[in-house]
Amino acid sequence: MQTSNNETVCSHCHLSFDVNVMFTEKLDTKLLHFCCKGCQSVYHLLQDEGLESFYEKVGKKTLHPIDKIDDNLSKFDLDGFEKKYISKSDGLSKVSLVIEGIHCSACVWLNERVLNECDGIIETNINYTNHKASITWDPSTIKLSEIIKKIRSIGYDAHAYDSKLQEERVNKTRRDYYSRLLVGIFCTMNIMWIAIAQYAGYFTGMKSNVKDILNFAEFALATPALFYTGWYYFKGAFYGLKNRMINMDFLIISGTSLTYLYSIYASFTGNAEVYFESVTMIITFIFAGKYLEILSKKNAADSLDSLNSSVPSEVTVIRNNQRSVIDTTQVKVGDFLEVKPGDKIAIDGVLRANNASFDESSISGESVPIYKHIGDNITSGTVCLDAQIIYEASTDLSKSMLQNIITIVEESLLKKPKMEILANEISGYFSLMVLAMAILTFAGWFVMGVGFENSFIIAISVIVIACPCALGLATPVATLVGISMAAKKKILFKSSSSLETMAKATTIVLDKTGTITNGSPNVVSYEKFTSFDINLLYSLVQTSTHPVSKAICLYLEKNEESCENYFLDEIKNIEARGIRAQFKGQDLLGGNHVLFKDEKIKLSINPNNTQFIFAIDGEIACLIELNDQVKIGAKQTIEQLKHLGLELIMCTGDNDFVANKVAHEVGIQRVHSSMMPKDKALLVKELQESNKIVITVGDGINDALALSRSNVSISMGNSSDLTVKVSDVIFLNNKITTLYEAITLSKSVYTTIKQNLVFSLLYNLITISFAVLGYIIPVVAAISMSLSSLVVVGNSLRIKRIFKNG
Amino acid sequence: MDDNVLSAMIFVSVGLGALGLIAFLWGLKSGQFDDSSKFLDGALHDSEDDLNVAKKMQDKKENFKKENK
Repeated sequence: MQTSNNETVCSHCHLSFDVNVMFTEKLDTKLLHFCCKGCQSVYHLLQDEGLESFYEKVGKKTLHPIDKIDDNLSKFDLDGFEKKYISKSDGLSKVSLVIEGIHCSACVWLNERVLNECDGIIETNINYTNHKASITWDPSTIKLSEIIKKIRSIGYDAHAYDSKLQEERVNKTRRDYYSRLLVGIFCTMNIMWIAIAQYAGYFTGMKSNVKDILNFAEFALATPALFYTGWYYFKGAFYGLKNRMINMDFLIISGTSLTYLYSIYASFTGNAEVYFESVTMIITFIFAGKYLEILSKKNAADSLDSLNSSVPSEVTVIRNNQRSVIDTTQVKVGDFLEVKPGDKIAIDGVLRANNASFDESSISGESVPIYKHIGDNITSGTVCLDAQIIYEASTDLSKSMLQNIITIVEESLLKKPKMEILANEISGYFSLMVLAMAILTFAGWFVMGVGFENSFIIAISVIVIACPCALGLATPVATLVGISMAAKKKILFKSSSSLETMAKATTIVLDKTGTITNGSPNVVSYEKFTSFDINLLYSLVQTSTHPVSKAICLYLEKNEESCENYFLDEIKNIEARGIRAQFKGQDLLGGNHVLFKDEKIKLSINPNNTQFIFAIDGEIACLIELNDQVKIGAKQTIEQLKHLGLELIMCTGDNDFVANKVAHEVGIQRVHSSMMPKDKALLVKELQESNKIVITVGDGINDALALSRSNVSISMGNSSDLTVKVSDVIFLNNKITTLYEAITLSKSVYTTIKQNLVFSLLYNLITISFAVLGYIIPVVAAISMSLSSLVVVGNSLRIKRIFKNG
Repeated sequence: MDDNVLSAMIFVSVGLGALGLIAFLWGLKSGQFDDSSKFLDGALHDSEDDLNVAKKMQDKKENFKKENK
């Protein structure tokens, strides 16, 4: 399989390399090439196990070459690990893993096959969609570390996650809600065609025995809808009453179950109409809204799981020259902790070995990494970028910065201003009023001497009529349409009440890094001084994971026709300065102006912090300027928001200069810079005290406090998990333009809710007064009840049309 | 007579629908809809070999249960 000049594909990973750098060997008659030892060993392993059909299944897709295999397996057999992740039953152990490195279904197949071949593994189940695996094994035959080793030996990696925490629970509720909703929909659909027969029968005449059959069928269908689908509302009403509160659930339950009981009574006496179809319809419609809320919660949990590994739960500690992995809670002050490049710091401390750069953007919002020396303080939540470090813990977990923020956020979540309490109170009063009115009506008619049964029927009809059909549907159906529209536009609402609050908001507080700007440097200009092989620069920046190198790498891949990776020698990372390497006798040097000053190479350009200079053999070849760029459409969005009459404030931990520059670019007048997480929260509080309803948009841990304090909190989909946790709304596409869409959507939903409420209140006012006077013809009540619901549903569906056109 | 026909028709039609519903609920409960791509992608890797492995896994499970009883 020769490609262009001298390049061959690796027999395992199918990536092309120069044939000279590859391992070549002959197996039977086939000539095999491997790019690395890792690929070679996996290839032979699959041959030995008789799994070579894997390569047929993969086809022409490329895989990742097998890197060095991390041999730190002991932590999987530690007691702490076992307690946290492994569940045991009947002498079998079960663990949930996320498998990394899966590209296609063939990879899933390979993992399942290899695990199934293992002695002691009883059951393997890998999800094709999210690559989560659950493995059941016999602990007396095989250890978990051996299972993980098996997975690693074929070139994948696995890490455990606590499925009990979110996923399983959310999945279970979702499944439960889904079955309840399905039963509700089934009953409603069937009951409606029977109901139509009854309406027709009312006008054209129907034999009483036919009517009885139809009544019984409706009864049989309404019962599961009320008690199975509506169980949730019974529970809600019960807990409400326990806390001496009459809530919306109580209103729904009292309305529907009284209608249900009345309908049973009516079908026995045969002198009144039944309302079973109203019962099922109300329950099903309202429940559909509830289900949609659960669904968006499940989506949130899914995105949370992938982020979960970002908060470290265990650290490597060095005690008596022995390294061991322990839980973060067991770290004591004075312990020496080891951190690998790319890892997040879990506990505050003082740097003791190796200078290194730290990405502090999650705490301060500063987009440029900070270089720290031995003896400097390091903060939890920051990421060590380029060196293996050892530091001394200066606090325990509970007093660390990251943990502090988490605790404060969790506390303030309880104090969050809640709008729906008001709505609940109103509906509580409404249902009390209706009950009182029904009792008065009964008393009035009874005193007037129409007999017990007649007065009872009239009183019940008051409740049936007032049963919050339209009123109960007014809010949920509109929010249901709103939430599903939002989901299509990649906006995730964790609770429906935020839609309402968002529409009333007066002020938006925006974070800079990651919200208005992209949050990582981008190449803005590229100036060539001499002509040189661009692949040299590409290969050099490939060797580093620093954000600047990554940005240049991306830029070259996008703008150059072909990028080739050379094998460089003597690669050296010069911390906080740049990279140096050798290639066929050429000396490659790339980095900032400080590096060139150290090397005593003269620069003819103005030094600046956001430059990357590249030189070959001491001669400057090119200059690249980098900048944290404003997101696409940010300026336009902010203008549109101003048009809506919203006050916009930018709030950042970054310095004055950068903050003002960005603010000016997008057109925000009010800027607060150099804000610590607590300052941001304070700003939100001050705004709220001057009677403003505040939306906060953010993405980092530094925004979490402010987010938890504000009336509506919005976070970007790529935010830290803590931020996602405290947010009411999540923008999955990370775009700032979504903010405008979200606000206009919430506004139109709010208007629709108001229209619906006015309509249903008017309707109730008119029909209740007729009912109290005893003028209501039962079947007219039934039809008009369905009709009023349809009006509300239809009005809500208009949101969809408005948004398709707009 | 027409009463019986009417009730039979309602019973049979609603009953058939209910059967479908129950079957679906059972599928939902046993986790058949948890992984949307499994049935499509999994079918690509179906062979006699894989069937044998599946049988072996089942045997392993039963053996384990027997040993522990």
